[in-house]
Amino acid sequence: MSTPTFSSPRAGTTAKRIIVIYHTQLTPRVIAELLQQFAVKELHIGLTQGLWRYETWGYPIVEATSGAEMWAWFSGANLTNRDVDSQWKALANVFSGVLCASLNFVDNTNSIAPRHLIRPQFMPANGQRFVRYATLPREIVCTENLTPWKKLLPCGSASGFASLLNSGHVHNTKYHSLGLKVRVLCEDHDEDNCIVELTQTANLVYDLRLFELSNNDFSLRRLFGMGLNGYCELAESSKIYVQRNELGERYQLVPEPVHEVKTTRGGHSVVYSVYDMHEQFKEAGERLFNVAWLAPKSANRRRNLAKPSLPPVTVHRYLLGHGQERGRIVTEVTNSHYDALPIMLQEVIPWYVHAYLHTLSIRRKPQRINEYGRQRLPFKLLHYTPGKQRELPSHLEIGFMLPGQTSALISIDVDYLLLKWLEYPPDANHGHYIGSAIVSSQLPMGRNYSALPPEGHLFEHSFKCDTAELCAHLHTEALIVSLPTPDFSMPYNVICLACTVVALAFGPIHSVATKMIIVGRQTSTPKNFVKRSSNQVFRRGKAADEAAAEGEGLPAAGAAASDATGVASARPAISPGSPSGDQPLLEDLDEEEEEQD
Amino acid sequence: MATQRIGDINKRRNKAATKTEAIKSIQYHGKNIYGILRAPRIASTEGIVFAAPYRAASSVHTDISASVPLLLAFADFARRKNYWAKDLIFLVTEQEQLGMQAWLEAYHDGDRDLDLSKAYLRPGNLPARAGSLQAALNIEVQDLEIDHVDVRIEGLNGKLPNLDMFNLVQRIMAREGIASGYKQAPRKKRRHSQSHFEQNLRQMLTMLASQSSGVPTGNHGLFHRYRIDALTIAANRRATHATLKGSPGSAAVPLLKAIEGIARSLNNLLERFHQSFFFYVIVNNDRYISIGDYMPALVALVACAFLKAYLTWSTLPATNAELEKAAGWLREHEQEAELEENLEPDKFELPYGSVLIYLTATLLIGFLCNVLPLQQYFLEIPMGAAPLTTSVLSFLSLIGFVLPFVVVLPPGGLELLHVAFLLIYGCALIVIGLLNFALGFFAAVLTVPLVIALETKEENSRSTLRDTIRLATLVMNPMMVVYVIVLAMTFYQFPELPVQKIMLRAATAAMDASAYGLIDSVIYGNWLYFVICTIFLPLWIICWTLSLSKRRDYADYLDFDESPSTSPQPQSKVKTN
Repeated sequence: MSTPTFSSPRAGTTAKRIIVIYHTQLTPRVIAELLQQFAVKELHIGLTQGLWRYETWGYPIVEATSGAEMWAWFSGANLTNRDVDSQWKALANVFSGVLCASLNFVDNTNSIAPRHLIRPQFMPANGQRFVRYATLPREIVCTENLTPWKKLLPCGSASGFASLLNSGHVHNTKYHSLGLKVRVLCEDHDEDNCIVELTQTANLVYDLRLFELSNNDFSLRRLFGMGLNGYCELAESSKIYVQRNELGERYQLVPEPVHEVKTTRGGHSVVYSVYDMHEQFKEAGERLFNVAWLAPKSANRRRNLAKPSLPPVTVHRYLLGHGQERGRIVTEVTNSHYDALPIMLQEVIPWYVHAYLHTLSIRRKPQRINEYGRQRLPFKLLHYTPGKQRELPSHLEIGFMLPGQTSALISIDVDYLLLKWLEYPPDANHGHYIGSAIVSSQLPMGRNYSALPPEGHLFEHSFKCDTAELCAHLHTEALIVSLPTPDFSMPYNVICLACTVVALAFGPIHSVATKMIIVGRQTSTPKNFVKRSSNQVFRRGKAADEAAAEGEGLPAAGAAASDATGVASARPAISPGSPSGDQPLLEDLDEEEEEQD
Repeated sequence: MATQRIGDINKRRNKAATKTEAIKSIQYHGKNIYGILRAPRIASTEGIVFAAPYRAASSVHTDISASVPLLLAFADFARRKNYWAKDLIFLVTEQEQLGMQAWLEAYHDGDRDLDLSKAYLRPGNLPARAGSLQAALNIEVQDLEIDHVDVRIEGLNGKLPNLDMFNLVQRIMAREGIASGYKQAPRKKRRHSQSHFEQNLRQMLTMLASQSSGVPTGNHGLFHRYRIDALTIAANRRATHATLKGSPGSAAVPLLKAIEGIARSLNNLLERFHQSFFFYVIVNNDRYISIGDYMPALVALVACAFLKAYLTWSTLPATNAELEKAAGWLREHEQEAELEENLEPDKFELPYGSVLIYLTATLLIGFLCNVLPLQQYFLEIPMGAAPLTTSVLSFLSLIGFVLPFVVVLPPGGLELLHVAFLLIYGCALIVIGLLNFALGFFAAVLTVPLVIALETKEENSRSTLRDTIRLATLVMNPMMVVYVIVLAMTFYQFPELPVQKIMLRAATAAMDASAYGLIDSVIYGNWLYFVICTIFLPLWIICWTLSLSKRRDYADYLDFDESPSTSPQPQSKVKTN
């Protein structure tokens, strides 16, 4: 899609707010229970596939990094750091089950306690506060996460906006992100008078080019596979907002919207058309609700695509250098605004990558030039927690002022570690992930910005906030680093080969060493006719003797055999007692030969 | 075209300025253009490169103007699909391999702050990247009417892409009904009947020959250094298309389908190519020789050198008497003198120090070959790059040639040098063979007979054999070998010219070759020049010393203090027995 993404993701955003106190009619029981069990006051979980492209899409309503992301604030009486660590791990495990995501991999080796960048939204000022943050960039978000996420809604997936989220259509988008936010809002003087707030968000970006359409028209049915079948009966408000200015201007809406809202935020106005589901489904006859966007029928539709204006701050992250020994993690922040902006950067560098703080540098260049020179930017703030092998990730927070129309390149040199062989994942040659960095800045204007204010929970709350607090948290790309990987099939081959050789050698040696070899008597008759006939003649004569000898001969043979082991000893003990009893075959044959001679 | 749509595929530019100082500050400027198709199923952590070189119409190389449209057609197709799980980079490079090298350096080391006065290649920085690159496909299409597709795999320093990638391309091309293969012959020539064995042998030798130079056969070769598997599919024009011509452009459909197939196969890879074969020699399109089979050949060749080293070591003279015997001096009065001295142990001290100094001197000459042609004051001499490099190299090899006449090792030194030479020679060949098998193998085939025949002892060698070995050693001078190879190639290419002209032309071509070798080593990191200068030339100097077997007159040795300035004579004339 060129960029009607500005209109479509909002159409797909459902925001629900349920205000109850441990009221399991609206909040799922799990969440109500865990708030009692753990001292968690604020919890954010994001499950995202794809990368939000700031250059073309602006800033999202809810920020998320690709893969899974999770952070929580803990507060309580007599809470220690160690308690928080164990609670954090338990919390991740609970939500791993609730959302069917691999959040159970969250532990101390990939969690940090952010110092500056992540702020609590509603926390009592008094008392100790702890924060934990972790990302799992490897996590692949799929249907199995969507279904449990929908189950957390009070109406489930049966009615309301959640009925639009069919996995087949949701996963054909360019970007989709599921969010879960739990906050406990308590009164300052009364700790028990609390409100639990659960916000669930879904953020989708469609690309019309992937639909193989003949024109640029689209509709709810085209995007989600079906129209909207009503609203959740428990909901107080259920609304669809469609942006009408900028790129939204080109489209004609069918049906025509009833309400229009004009908002001004940070000096930037946006016009939204509003469809209120409570009004749409007032009459009993309404079945399915559908909105269609009709593009102008002009011939060269590709020409009139206005290039979207660049958001003031954009960010990218690369892994530079080649080889499997060392590299550089490079984060590039660009300020296209004319004025200087404060920038905060938080990096989590996993333990299998050694970072060297002395190599940390911020270089700058004018925005229009590609190459970085030697001009540096000074740090205003630097917080660094060194990592520890197999225990802690390195945690880095930097703050600096970025001049206008300038890019900054923050680079730090790293060494790649050779892991122990059990620490490699099954797909070792896929590479290891380094989670994305978060860049935070205070935006000078509201263009391209539509995030919710901290005190709000519905999309309409973002209209009325005219505070100067336009704070954007940008997430960069995650990185794949290919650590030195041994050839895992080689030990396998060696083991196979060695086992085969050992097995082949062991069998015969073992049987020779342990088994007693008893030479049996030939029972089958010789094939040669002469021999056979002669054999029959002699056998007949011997048979009578054998029958007589069997009585005394056999016990003797048995005793001898139990006495002696091996091949040689089985022979002599028998023959004297009973010349024809268990006589060895060889001797027997010899005799026969002699007899023939 | 897909790249013209803003927002579909981001259009990026990468300006590369190259200063190749060895060609006397000729500067090349180029501009690479690339677009990244952001895959919907991944967060830009991995990418695949599809590259097509752009050649100006005035270029001396074959016209491949059809490759850029083909690339863009594929990009337009790929844009409409949502199954991409790796970002696709569509890259059009200028200035042949220089452009590709510049792009790769900018992609991987774009933040480097280069010293502009010293850098040979200024790649600049890239404004957008697509994570770690997993594989690359270079497309060179001469025309949409395709006769056959030649799959080129040899990269820098003889590195190869994973065999799986070659097989993948082969399978998909076969499925689309395109005749393709490694060194695929055109349709016309394909029919004539050679025996299978001869064909296979021919293919194997051509592969080894093209690998041994270490020069990549296409833009793909530069990717291998960054551990990105890459190969080139070069579609060749159909020669007789007058009768076969169908609707224009329809012939491109199978090729486009094949490219799509390759792209989707690479897209579906969960891991990088790994653990399969990176070391192989292709004998047929569906047959190869693995490293386990070809390495023993080289090892067996080189083992001769080690065996000979052991034999020489075990017969090293331990006493003065043996030394004299070995050298073939037997004089009455010395024997008497020896008898007198026999009471005290007549242990002979091998001259380790002087041999070590001699070795260092030869290595120093090799080192200078690497360093001197790049020095600023040499570059300021008003001379072309090729004559300059060649004159420096010839001068240094001349020093090496004269060295054994000037410096004569003390008694026993030659034997010790021989042992050292054999060991160094064997190790060097094994190491070269591991890095670039073809080069090591050819070097071994050429030199092992000579090295085995080489003897320093005087008594058991006839003078004719000796002279032949000396002559052979002289011919084996790296400079001479390069000249002979170039001469053979010139003769093969221009058989109509008179011999004198061919010789002259080969001389200039060889001079150019040495200059290009130097440039390659400086810009791309080709090892060939380094190997020849730093390993083969010193080895040759030692070999030359050994084949000359210059010895000090024994009298000089004894009365060293009285007559230190006696000029050494060729001792083969003084033999007494």
